[in-house]
Amino acid sequence: MTTLVFLLEEPSAREMLDGVMQRLMPQMTDIRFVVFEGKQDMMHGLERKLRGWLAPDTRFVVFRDQDSADCHDVKQALVEICRRAGRPDALTRVACRELESFYLGDLAAVEHGLELNGLATRQDGRKYRSPDGLNNAKEELIRLTGGHYQERAGSRSIARHLRIDGANRSRSFNVLLAGIQRLTRGATGADGQVIGE
Amino acid sequence: MRIESLRLKNYKSFRDATMADIPPLCVVVGANGTGKTTLFGVFGFLKDCMIHNVRQALQVRGGFREVRSRGAGEDECIEIEIKFRLDIVGVERLVTYLVQIGEKRGRPVVRREVLRYKRARYGAPYHFLDFSNGSGFAITNEEDFNKSDEELDREEQKVASDTLAISGLGQFERFKAANAFRSLIEHWHVSDFHISQARGTKDAVGIDDHLSPSGDNLQLVARNIYENHPKVFEEILQGMRERVPGVSSVTPKLTDDGRLLLQFQDGAFKDPFVDRFVSDGTIKMFAYLVLLHDPHPHPLLCVEEPENQLYPTLLEELAEEFRDYAMRGGQVLVSTHSPDFLNALRLDEVFWLRKRDGYTQILRARDDQQVAAYMADGDRMGALWKQGFFAGADPR
Repeated sequence: MTTLVFLLEEPSAREMLDGVMQRLMPQMTDIRFVVFEGKQDMMHGLERKLRGWLAPDTRFVVFRDQDSADCHDVKQALVEICRRAGRPDALTRVACRELESFYLGDLAAVEHGLELNGLATRQDGRKYRSPDGLNNAKEELIRLTGGHYQERAGSRSIARHLRIDGANRSRSFNVLLAGIQRLTRGATGADGQVIGE
Repeated sequence: MRIESLRLKNYKSFRDATMADIPPLCVVVGANGTGKTTLFGVFGFLKDCMIHNVRQALQVRGGFREVRSRGAGEDECIEIEIKFRLDIVGVERLVTYLVQIGEKRGRPVVRREVLRYKRARYGAPYHFLDFSNGSGFAITNEEDFNKSDEELDREEQKVASDTLAISGLGQFERFKAANAFRSLIEHWHVSDFHISQARGTKDAVGIDDHLSPSGDNLQLVARNIYENHPKVFEEILQGMRERVPGVSSVTPKLTDDGRLLLQFQDGAFKDPFVDRFVSDGTIKMFAYLVLLHDPHPHPLLCVEEPENQLYPTLLEELAEEFRDYAMRGGQVLVSTHSPDFLNALRLDEVFWLRKRDGYTQILRARDDQQVAAYMADGDRMGALWKQGFFAGADPR
């Protein structure tokens, strides 16, 4: 059975992936999360966690926010760490620019998840048409929801409703999902069935 | 209504300290003995001053000389200044309450007591209540914002020199700001759970809307919510199911002899457990959910070290729930020693205390450039704290 491991910088990313993976690939039964305490902790401890991982037949997804850094630099740094750790095949993905950009890309999911009204209709507004360009997505989301979005509880409620069919306006979200699907091709589930053929 | 700032002078270890622009959820860390409890105690002190008098409030705290900072000069006063935002006849005003307490021939006296705010966007703040040494005045028609300052009616009053004018005048609706401030101080709440007191059967007499500080009326409050706010009770149960493995339901149950107890249902078994056989952490989680889902939030809630007995990953969720509570109308002050709790907080929400030459200083995370820079770059509060970036917060 294949193990899929997500290495993340914060628990809200775990909540998001938890809610998405249950629908994206229900056959993938052994999913684990390694949650670091913020970015520094992640960049510092990532290599050791990757190198020291014992379970065979494991595939890795390394995922963090871009925040204020340059997207290309962040990606390169992650690729380099994976290579040094002897896991060059790990999938590295960067949220442009924050996890919350994914939610701004699907305001219908925010509306349902947080039980608010009138958000989905604003998706075509200038800001939310292409949320990856916003550099303060979290603040924007808190403001837009009148403070009802909280990192962890909010991620959990919204993730259940996020569309996984490519309709999300955040390109980096869709790229993340496509990457996960590609990474898990040929993996095996609990009953030995092969995934994604 | 929200407290905007707090300034203390010569109050115990706070020789001269200010907390400005206080957020709705405000969290304080600091080594043992740096003054976290003292800081929260200010509200208790004011409440005691208000419902009893200043002399009594000082007496239970060891007397004037114990409460006034050591090293303060003989003629120096204890000074407390609180600024709060308050809606007065449709306009939000920043109201300042100031009290100075001194000593005269061995007896405590209120040297000065002022309540003031600006009547318009411009101009100096106007004093609506101003007393010194037991005599002064209050304005009786403060809501007439059309009238010029000269037309306002002053009512000269005398009070005992160890009594706060606000404790009497604050009872009257027509003194808007005084009344609101009195009610804030009167209804502030400190949560200091004692699990042992929260357990067991309780007399099912009366209705309790709010959880008591020690949590000893948990059963009564739970029953009140269960019967009168079923939707809120369902939210509490949902919270329990997500946080405590095995708990599927909690029911307040009336016994044959007219007492009330809590029954905890485990999904795996048919018969429920009585609360005596449930773990401390389970009771505490339930008590917090009951406290935080209160249909009528306290205007000011202080919680000391909520992390005790709880599983570390639950603390981040608890922090979010405190923030929710603050958003629903109450302001929440928390002291903590838990990095996990801190990890869920935003830059704006964290303060730390440190002692310098015997006195407490209040520092703020967002004022520290290094902490702010790391946070902007995706770090987390608890991790930065553990790594020693809160200058002076760690005991040496």
